[in-house]
Amino acid sequence: MRWVGCAMALSLGIVLAACRFIPTDQVSAIGAAGGTNGAAARDPDQMVASMWAAKVVPYFEKKAGPFLAARDLAATAPDQAGAKWGYRAKAEATPWTLMVRIEGTIVAADTESRAATIGVDASGEGKTDASVQIGPAMRGTAIRDALDFVSFGDFTNQIDFARFGKAFNTYVNHNTLEKLPRDDLVGRKVTLIGAYALDSSGEPPLVTPVEITIGPKP
Amino acid sequence: MKIRYALAGALLASAAFTGSSAYAADLIAVITPSHDNPFFKAEAEGAEAKAKQLGYDVISLVHDDDANKQSQLFDTAIARSAKAIVLDNAGADATVAAVKKAKDAGIPSFLIDREINASGIASAQIVSNNYQGAQLGAQEFVKLMGEKGAFVELVGKESDTNAGIRSKGYHDVIDEYPNLKMVARQSANWDQTEAYSKMETILQANPGIKGVISGNDTMAMGAEAALIAAGRKDVIVVGFDGSNDVRDSILKGEIKATVLQPAYREAQLGVEEADALIKTKTAPKTEKQLMDCVLINSANAAKLETFELKP
Repeated sequence: MRWVGCAMALSLGIVLAACRFIPTDQVSAIGAAGGTNGAAARDPDQMVASMWAAKVVPYFEKKAGPFLAARDLAATAPDQAGAKWGYRAKAEATPWTLMVRIEGTIVAADTESRAATIGVDASGEGKTDASVQIGPAMRGTAIRDALDFVSFGDFTNQIDFARFGKAFNTYVNHNTLEKLPRDDLVGRKVTLIGAYALDSSGEPPLVTPVEITIGPKP
Repeated sequence: MKIRYALAGALLASAAFTGSSAYAADLIAVITPSHDNPFFKAEAEGAEAKAKQLGYDVISLVHDDDANKQSQLFDTAIARSAKAIVLDNAGADATVAAVKKAKDAGIPSFLIDREINASGIASAQIVSNNYQGAQLGAQEFVKLMGEKGAFVELVGKESDTNAGIRSKGYHDVIDEYPNLKMVARQSANWDQTEAYSKMETILQANPGIKGVISGNDTMAMGAEAALIAAGRKDVIVVGFDGSNDVRDSILKGEIKATVLQPAYREAQLGVEEADALIKTKTAPKTEKQLMDCVLINSANAAKLETFELKP
């Protein structure tokens, strides 16, 4: 990763010599318009689209662990759970992002809020074990944060890095979540692969799906 | 050899400041915005404390958010043969040249809090995960607002990447709620006094506002003071930084929430990484390092002290 960072830094350095200074709030706008002066101009939505099927989905399918086991191990030994089924960019002040496979029944659904979620019972105990985001308003950057081939150092600044994180949410929303049913969700079966950041809240994890299938009304 | 000098320097602590003695300790220069803002004061104090603990002399300099002054301070650090610079910078684009100048003179820079728009020049850029933090603050704001009502956004200084990233984080949450209506958005340049007068004016033009979301705590303090002076304690205010002032305000039931940036720890980490490079030639694993932020509200405000949450 450092070599990639260095190569990009070099190309950025060469280009910077010819740059003019622009206010920060215009930087993102220029990036969105397709770039300036031939620098590593990035359209985050295009970047995500080009890597989704080729890299992101295979990565998740390979790394995702069984949700209940991951959750339970994370509760007592988060570093072990992270090493088996997760990623974090560094050790300090960065939570583990775990990748999990969940199969269960929908026992709750909040489609009133724009940040809609379904509560999935994976353990058969009849309560929500995981809260899964189904959009359109999506929280966090769990998909991006799970990827060990993506690094903050590859981006000009936090704004670009954040736009990239959001682009994953936009992509899964547009290509998958928008197509999910919104009515009569409770009682349906669901399977998914997704990511969530470990926290100490004690609440069921908030999972962002990469793949999700909801079954028919029971 | 260096270790002997450093130990001798530490023993001669009070005399070693000018670095003119052959036995002076190595010097680290800490450069930040004005200490009028407790955030930057805490950074400087954190960096100084860690540097002294590790046996360095420290000069603590203030650039007042002026890129020209910052450049002169870099010249000072170079002239004094500082072994490293710990910097909270005066502009993401303007600072690139200064950091490069120091690097060319053999002095590595360890950036904290604010990043620059280039990699491969600074040895480290330790920044708060402002987007993650802003999302936390905005989610709390949305909850407090009951997902509806008129609100105001106060934005930070334009040259600081953090102003834009926090605003983006706020909007990526708030814009999803069509019943939350932004009636005014203005920059108060991170400044408490400026936020006070802008809030006064905005309130007069928009008496129906229900909430204010602010890019940082000093602006939140200014806004809150203006609202209280106008008899509008009902307005919900959320800030960003995790200052003691806002902590106290939260505990009094005034400002409702803020987001803690681990500023003290970032400053100390900057010095630790400088020390590792100086003493063992070990560079940080990655240049750009994001440190997650934490939501502060009445539930945990009492544990907050100088930009750290006590257990």
